[in-house]
Amino acid sequence: MSVTEALFILVVVVVTALAFDFTNGFHDTANAMATSIATGALKPKAAVALSAVLNLVGAFLSIEVALTVSNKILSIQDSSGAPIEGLMGVPILTIVFAGLVGGILWNLTTWLLGLPSSSSHALFGGLIGSAIAALGFGGVKWDGVISSILLPSLFAPLVAGLVAGVGTWIIYKLVTKIPESRRDSGYRWGQIGSASLVSLAHGTNDAQKTMGVITLSLIAYGSWTSTDSIPLWVKVSCAVAIAAGTWIGGWRVIRTLGKGLTEIHSPQGMAAETASAVIILSSSHLGMALSTTQVATGSILGSGVGKRGAEVRWSVAGRMVIAWVLTLPAAGLVGAICWFLANAIGGALGVAVVFALLVAAAAGMYFRSRRTAINPDNVNSEWEGGLAVTETAASPAEKVAASSLTERN
Amino acid sequence: MEILAKAFSALWQVLAVGMLLGVGIPALFSIGMRSLEHGRVPAPAGTTNASTDGTMAGPAGKAGAIVCFGVCILAVLFGIVVIIFGKQLFS
Repeated sequence: MSVTEALFILVVVVVTALAFDFTNGFHDTANAMATSIATGALKPKAAVALSAVLNLVGAFLSIEVALTVSNKILSIQDSSGAPIEGLMGVPILTIVFAGLVGGILWNLTTWLLGLPSSSSHALFGGLIGSAIAALGFGGVKWDGVISSILLPSLFAPLVAGLVAGVGTWIIYKLVTKIPESRRDSGYRWGQIGSASLVSLAHGTNDAQKTMGVITLSLIAYGSWTSTDSIPLWVKVSCAVAIAAGTWIGGWRVIRTLGKGLTEIHSPQGMAAETASAVIILSSSHLGMALSTTQVATGSILGSGVGKRGAEVRWSVAGRMVIAWVLTLPAAGLVGAICWFLANAIGGALGVAVVFALLVAAAAGMYFRSRRTAINPDNVNSEWEGGLAVTETAASPAEKVAASSLTERN
Repeated sequence: MEILAKAFSALWQVLAVGMLLGVGIPALFSIGMRSLEHGRVPAPAGTTNASTDGTMAGPAGKAGAIVCFGVCILAVLFGIVVIIFGKQLFS
């Protein structure tokens, strides 16, 4: 293979990694901001702007080099983070590329359906699939898949739901006598504070993963040798990509989390976001990192269960659970297919063909989303059995106006 | 089996910290909110931070609230320290 061909593949991998980082941003905006948007603590556009800034800052705050992030589940890198001997160069670049495509397509699919799902698990799923395709089942450390993906997925919603549920229950015990106007304005501050912490933690954690992936690719190509530092441009571009994605706002997921699961009020919002922040931060230092998305979803569910009389739509929660179960196999399948395709065609052309398919699929999903567009104006519309906003539900005010009109007639 | 044992020991720790801080902080914030309700006084005309019912927090209630909210703010600052230096602090 010529030098230019390898360079071309490297460039495509870097672009794809940044695209993944971008989807990671808009897919996960909801985790921190759905509750603040739903309760009106922050205007939708202000919320995503705040979250974007905090993700940007968070990405720069990371002083850890997450180069060995895949080591728990794959055998493609040695303990220092460098590619293992036989994979140096184009082989590992192709594996990483196919895995990224699997992760991106799963993120876009779940976004289109308005379902929160873990971006990290989507990336790992894609990488597992492409590693199996390239190396056989021995390329995957199944113990690690169980201990760092499957068990945490089981625990995250339960722990978060329990903590947020108890928190909500206690809050409502304490504040029943406070007049509603003062209560809401007070808890809005609590909500914004805790949600900001979730955003900051997200920027630090998730941008780091893409930085690790790009640095790994640079080492594989041979233009970077250090395994304990990251080129500045990688840091800057990853931080900007995740912040830009966050700022675009994944309104579909925000709507499902903020309005679909349960009707959220400010005290519940604060209980949910505080529970999320505490669990995300403690779990990552107690040996079992839990997914931000799964924790945030569990917390919101818990805040619905903990408030007496609140309705929780378990059917919506059930759809999320199905999406979570499918994350690894679906992203993995796409990752495997992409690796086979790229490998069968071979070289730069194979990677280019898969990249073109990725662009086409992404464009298709974007245009499909326009049919039921969710945006800052209708993100908080009443939930009527699904993501889509019907004309009459466009805004509660319009609804009132329409009904009074029919009464008069 | 070893995987499960490890996972459950981590699970209990996360749950314990979650219950302590994840429930404790909102509860403390709520005590602060309640403290603001304690012994409210009529707001003099022209006060900007008066509530719609024309009252404002009394001095004792305010002091209690400041303590509660202050601890909550410290908890947030601690959270930021954990985000930046967590690996060095806990490994």
